[in-house]
Amino acid sequence: MKKATGRWLAEHWITIASPIALLALWEWASATGLRAAFFPRPTTIAVHLRDLARDGVLWAHLATTLVRIGWSFSLAAILGVAIGLAMGLWRRLREGLDPVFAVIYPIPSVLFLPLVSFLVPPGEIALIVTTAVTSFFLIAFTTTHGVRQIDRLIVEAGRHYGAKGWRLFATVLLPGALPHIFTGLRLGLGFALIVVVAVEIVSASEGLGALLWLSWQVLKVEDMYATFFVIALLGALLSYGLAALRARLLPWVPDVADR
Amino acid sequence: MIEDIILPTREPKVLVNEVSVTFESRGRSVVALDRISLQAHAGEFLCIVGPSGSGKSTLLRVLAGLHRQSAGEVRIQADRPGTPLTAMVFQEHALLPWRTVRDNVTFGLENRGVGRAEREARAREMLAMVGLARFAQHYPHQLSGGMKQRVGIARALANDPEVLLMDEPLAALDAQTRTIMQEELLRIWATLGKTVVYVTHSLEEALLLGDRVVLLTARPGRVSQVYRVDLGRPRGLEVRASPSYGALLETIWSRLREEVVRAIEADRDSGGDASGG
Repeated sequence: MKKATGRWLAEHWITIASPIALLALWEWASATGLRAAFFPRPTTIAVHLRDLARDGVLWAHLATTLVRIGWSFSLAAILGVAIGLAMGLWRRLREGLDPVFAVIYPIPSVLFLPLVSFLVPPGEIALIVTTAVTSFFLIAFTTTHGVRQIDRLIVEAGRHYGAKGWRLFATVLLPGALPHIFTGLRLGLGFALIVVVAVEIVSASEGLGALLWLSWQVLKVEDMYATFFVIALLGALLSYGLAALRARLLPWVPDVADR
Repeated sequence: MIEDIILPTREPKVLVNEVSVTFESRGRSVVALDRISLQAHAGEFLCIVGPSGSGKSTLLRVLAGLHRQSAGEVRIQADRPGTPLTAMVFQEHALLPWRTVRDNVTFGLENRGVGRAEREARAREMLAMVGLARFAQHYPHQLSGGMKQRVGIARALANDPEVLLMDEPLAALDAQTRTIMQEELLRIWATLGKTVVYVTHSLEEALLLGDRVVLLTARPGRVSQVYRVDLGRPRGLEVRASPSYGALLETIWSRLREEVVRAIEADRDSGGDASGG
């Protein structure tokens, strides 16, 4: 394990080195002339981050955002996978929904907030539903594609060896689509974070987006950057977490790094 | 050498009678198989050769029940109740990537509701036969091409079909692996005594493996000639050095050559578009 880590470092040192170099450059620029009011030194931001964490403000906002992402993502994942699978399996449904999806999908998600507020109780539920919209489309798209790209020969072999109806779905079509479904989930989770922060900026008083916006409005620039950092870190963690989960759940997908 | 029309004394294992297959493609109909009649006897290794587009694979797919013939009848005699009529070894192995080697081999049994213990015992037996006992827990992507095709063979055999169908199973392998696999196939066939219908584009392979070779014409596929391969059994690669092998190869090839040329010309005349009869 230790050896593997060493080898990884030897090959990918630049992955670690580049953000450190960037931070160092920033630190130097802020210390020597960049306007510190707008571009505080990373070390200063770190101190503010520690203070925010210590008095609990950060955790409260983080928890609120995480709960929202949890609901939105679950909603998008369940509906997206279900409808995506159905669209992958039934041509008529796919042809019927494709134009609708094509029109709705490119609309920036935040713009759905007023519309959603007419349909569901405004406030928390509207926020969660709005956040789910883009993720839902992404997950449905990739799931549909996942079903469609399965090698026809493999489906044929499945049928030939006696898998019919439900068994064909469970043993051939669903596993065949899973790698794409996971890609969709990863993208969807990333977008859930992006959109929840945006929606929190426009319409919430709690959550990381709200904290960021509030810090900016009262010119607590260091706190704004600290929140920024937390959001970025959260995004990276969610993405890598899902990738790790995929490697664990789908051991049969060849690791891209292996090739 | 050329087989006379002999009326079989008993029902053949596989009977193909006047089978035609027509494909509809862009509003035109293309005849892939034209009134094919042939039979395979129990325990026989029957090879089918022909130029590209002669419908060899289509014929096999009809036998496998993957494609319905437009006319004619196919009868496969079932001697043992509860086993499938056919099991196919696909050209590109067509293993399920998400299943381990063992679970690929037991796939057909699982779908037929065979109990777990029996499934696993059968998988062990078949994997041992194809020399992959140690790879039961591997996934297909971890195997070489030759090993994948061994799994494909084990998967088909695990179902204990009445007839084993093989669609150019070694075509995707490199020459050396292919040679090894041909010897393996001969050994397995000698052990199990299965009726095999084997499609190949390689005449050499057909003569090494087959009891008889059915030569199909260029599209539309018809039976051009049936040759008996009297090269003795057990047969190994050394058969290639025998004069009768050379003579038979020459005989069939001169006939096959005409068909290949015809196929190429037909292809050229139609601007590379698949068309015919």
